[in-house]
Amino acid sequence: MGIVGIAAGKVLSSSSVFLFLTVLLLVAARRISTSVLLFSLQSAAITAQVAVTAYYEQSVEAYAIAALVLSIKVIGIPYVFFRLIDGLKTPRDVKASTTPAQSVFIAVAMIFISYAAVRSYAQDVSVPGDTLAASVSLILTGAFLMVSRKKALMQMIGLLVMENGIFLAALATTFGMPLVIEIGIFFDVVMGVLLMGIFTFRIRDTFEHLDVSKLRRLRG
Amino acid sequence: MTMAIDVFQALLLILAAPLVRGIVARIKAGIQGRRGASIWRPYADVLKMFRKEDLAPPSASAVFRFAPRLLFAVAVAVAAFVPVLQPSALLGSLGDFIVMVYLMALGRFFLALGGMDGGSAFGGMGASREALVSTLAEAPFLLSMAALSISAHSPRIADIVGWTLGQDFFDISAVHILAFASMGMVALAESGRMPVDNPTTHLELTMIHEAMVLEYSGPSLALIEWASAIKLNVMLALLIALFGPWGMATHLAPVALGSAFGVYLLKMLLLMTALAVIESSVAKLRMYLVPDFLGVATATSVLAIIFTVLSRR
Amino acid sequence: MINTAFYIFFALLSVIPLVAWLLHRRSRWLWLPAMLLVVGLVAGAAAAGHGVWGSNQPVPSFSWNFPFPFALSIDRLSAFFLFLICAISIPIAIFSLSYVNGHYQGPRRAWIWTLLPLFILSMSVVVTASTALAFLFGWELMTLLSAGLILVEGTSEERLHNVFIYLLMMHASAAAVAAAFFLFWPHSPGLEFASIRSSAPALGPAIRTVVFLLAFVGFGTKAGIIPFHLWLPRAHPIAPSPVSALMSGVMLKTAIYGLVRFAFDFLGGGPPWSGYLVLAAGAVSGLLGVLYAIAEHDLKRLLAYHSVENIGIIYLGLGSSLLFLANGAPQWASLALIAALLHTLNHALFKSLLFLGAGAISHSTHTLDLEEHGGLLKRMPVTGTAFLIGCCSIVGLPLFNGFISEWLTFRSFLGGSLLANATAQVVLPLMIGVLALIGGLAAACFAKVYGVAFLGRPRSAEAEHAEETPLAMRTGLVLLALPCVVLGVLPSLALSPLARLAQVLVPGSSVPEEISSISRVIPWVAATLLGTIVVTFAIRRAQRFTATWACGLPPLTSRMQYTSTAFSKPIRSVFAAVYRPDRKVEVLPADQPYFPASISYRSERTTSYEKFLYRPAVDAIVAAAHQLRRLQTGNIQIYLLYIFLTLVSLLVYLRFLR
Repeated sequence: MGIVGIAAGKVLSSSSVFLFLTVLLLVAARRISTSVLLFSLQSAAITAQVAVTAYYEQSVEAYAIAALVLSIKVIGIPYVFFRLIDGLKTPRDVKASTTPAQSVFIAVAMIFISYAAVRSYAQDVSVPGDTLAASVSLILTGAFLMVSRKKALMQMIGLLVMENGIFLAALATTFGMPLVIEIGIFFDVVMGVLLMGIFTFRIRDTFEHLDVSKLRRLRG
Repeated sequence: MTMAIDVFQALLLILAAPLVRGIVARIKAGIQGRRGASIWRPYADVLKMFRKEDLAPPSASAVFRFAPRLLFAVAVAVAAFVPVLQPSALLGSLGDFIVMVYLMALGRFFLALGGMDGGSAFGGMGASREALVSTLAEAPFLLSMAALSISAHSPRIADIVGWTLGQDFFDISAVHILAFASMGMVALAESGRMPVDNPTTHLELTMIHEAMVLEYSGPSLALIEWASAIKLNVMLALLIALFGPWGMATHLAPVALGSAFGVYLLKMLLLMTALAVIESSVAKLRMYLVPDFLGVATATSVLAIIFTVLSRR
Repeated sequence: MINTAFYIFFALLSVIPLVAWLLHRRSRWLWLPAMLLVVGLVAGAAAAGHGVWGSNQPVPSFSWNFPFPFALSIDRLSAFFLFLICAISIPIAIFSLSYVNGHYQGPRRAWIWTLLPLFILSMSVVVTASTALAFLFGWELMTLLSAGLILVEGTSEERLHNVFIYLLMMHASAAAVAAAFFLFWPHSPGLEFASIRSSAPALGPAIRTVVFLLAFVGFGTKAGIIPFHLWLPRAHPIAPSPVSALMSGVMLKTAIYGLVRFAFDFLGGGPPWSGYLVLAAGAVSGLLGVLYAIAEHDLKRLLAYHSVENIGIIYLGLGSSLLFLANGAPQWASLALIAALLHTLNHALFKSLLFLGAGAISHSTHTLDLEEHGGLLKRMPVTGTAFLIGCCSIVGLPLFNGFISEWLTFRSFLGGSLLANATAQVVLPLMIGVLALIGGLAAACFAKVYGVAFLGRPRSAEAEHAEETPLAMRTGLVLLALPCVVLGVLPSLALSPLARLAQVLVPGSSVPEEISSISRVIPWVAATLLGTIVVTFAIRRAQRFTATWACGLPPLTSRMQYTSTAFSKPIRSVFAAVYRPDRKVEVLPADQPYFPASISYRSERTTSYEKFLYRPAVDAIVAAAHQLRRLQTGNIQIYLLYIFLTLVSLLVYLRFLR
């Protein structure tokens, strides 16, 4: 095995715990920049998991995917976000419609639900239950973030968290998708981020704020 | 021999408490680009106050003088619960975490009464705010400790520490991480540090603990200050004992004990630095955001309890 | 021997009304009823003591069969509750000696001395009854006599309304209890407890469920669990203080007795979900009870809400015990049951103490409004110290008795993690958080009560000139305060008899080891604390009293102190969702916002359960009554028709349908 093997095992056994922690912190975060940082950390945990899978499978493709995740989600997108936040110069808070305590309680409930939902399935097809539960709770949290945060930037982050969850689910059940598809998805995500970035600038310039709830006035 | 080390542990927690305060203040000063006072300054403060006369407002009753003494006694008793060098403690091998948490509540209750006995506006204000903070901190404190004790199959602190020592450091369970997050937040609230309370403020808008003890002077104040220093020290030592006991002496050999002491000092220094960094980088929360802070701690500890079941399988 | 003591108890208590009426004009003999009451209660406590500390053989006392089977006997469970009733009533009787005689004259005084012993007697009948009808007889009498005692104090419109609500809810409760008993009728015609117990296994599961639910609702109403507690904060505060102490400290416990009798003795554990039901009731009552209490500044109403809270804590213990029983863990079930029963005893002690303390305060200051008190500890040192002990006990601080029972409850919750059932594994440990929150809120509430009422500066002229209460009242308070401390430091005194009782109620359990563990650690903690305090008091410096610096302004006045309302404001605003206050600010005249002649502010709490539970229920009943009124035409022929139809349908039923 060697030291790398042991470390790989530890990463696998503990990464879902770190993911849960990022989920909790993400919904409790008050500032957009904190959320971006947490998203980056979350993606780093996922990168570690992909790398470990690659190590076990000895597959070059998986290493390539790990490098992709690292460059795009851990470094690229957060960098774009920080640039956006700097450029937009809007207030830094996320404008949540629930208090941090309520959000964390809701996140706890979602983690519990995802565990309960995944349990029997994970036993049937013998995939790691922790990882699968983590992925489901990432999807749920992403959705929750999109629903409860009023800033347009936070909705992008919510979307990205959901994407993280889907990626993780694919990783847990089928050891990832083929490289081509992954690259396609990443391309989609990057384009999405860029497009939304442009749109937020547009929104800001037109309305002088990023509060999505106030866009209702656009109705005819 | 075990007994002697237990006594030494308790004395260490009690007597080194002002030093911990001094070191944290010094590190903070360093981070903020100041030179800072000597790390021995809190000792000088306590000694100075012990030599002064004990003033009390005319309306004060016996409770006013009794409260600081009881608070100090509680701090001493609580210090006897926490293992430092070996997985045992004077009272920690007998009593469980519930007794410890409730002892702290005893001290706080009487200090709040002492604050209100002064008959001024500030005492009542501090007592009222402290009541809010401590009310909300109690549930996450007990829940996160309960999660640990469920994993360790024993509610006694010494047994929990002993069990953790037997675990592999890298086999971190979700329960421990969540409980640590929750306990960390509770520790900040319990020992009256940022972002819940600012120990150096005397602004009426922000102070909690300081408002409560504003009327005290002389030996009474010295006891209060010492007691809150002990409380900080105990909370840090408790975090170390519960979440990072590795390095403690498992058998009574001088070498093992010596290395345990060294490792303990290192861990303590690490925690103090972390505390100083947090205090220098985080703004104090508005009074009505403190419930949110503690609500997050509660939710985390609830999840820790849930994970005691989920991770069992 | 035991029977003799029991007979003396009964005889003395029944003779006191006579004595009271004979002597109520002679001021020299006023002490006689109270003395007789105390002697009788000592005899009663002695009779019960045998059952608590001695053998478990039920001691039959009274029994006759005409006109219905009526029998009293003392088994171990009865003995515990009889002991509780008698022992708690002794200090209350001593307190009443000067309280009643000082506050009431002439026939009113005689009425109190008539109703008080009979009230205690009726509670004794409830807990010693060994037939259903004897139980129900005592149960109804208890309600009526306590209502009578409330009415002695006055008969204003509001008081009558509150008593009406009390009686109404108690009759609903009695109906539920009676129904629970009568469901046993087909299997045990005499409704003796022994035959009920033996026939319980023969009941079908559906009937058992119904019996449990009826007992839960019936006794829950009497115990005052939310949402059946509507009467409690109305009835308790308006009674004379000793009676409030009896109602809150003792009468509520008969409901706990009833629930334990039904759930453990008769049914041997309810349906599998019963534990969750009782736990939920306890958690809701505990949390809401203490939250409502914090918002109060009328001392007696605040204490009444705390009764709801403490009953909630007792229910938490009972619920976890039922849960353990349903999951086949008798050892833990007995621990939780011990916790619940000990809290019953503790609550009886400290709640009576606090209500008597409230009586003493109102005796000295003529008001129960906390905002009018202040600085009373210096003026009433004995009362103040006793009240402080009561506060520490009810908060559950270590070295006081409340802590022991809360600690046992905590430990039983922790034990839930060892069950096989995954839901119970999560739910029981989470209850630790609930109980901790209740404890924290209670601490905040009593810091407020004690700080505002007894510490600081006097807030009114009455408080300024308050004087210590007479000797008899102080004696009563001290007699209740002492056991709070003694049981807090030496818990095994109460725990070992309770462990024996739990073994009877939970078959297959032995004495839990937690009992010895708490009995070992508490004396050490006490010694550490005492030792340190003595050492710190040894450091003596010059002491001086001097006025607080007021920033150069005129000296501080009592108006600058935090009030009770101000103290609880942070907590009220955090839990605003619970209170839903209805605030109104009126500025007169409205067109001049900067120079108003007057600003009035009113904040009213209509509690959610009233709005969402009782109002619709009452409306539905009234609507149904309106519909039913159509049957009542007033025409005699129609009524005859009803009778005729009933007869015919019964005959048809007999002939064809059976």
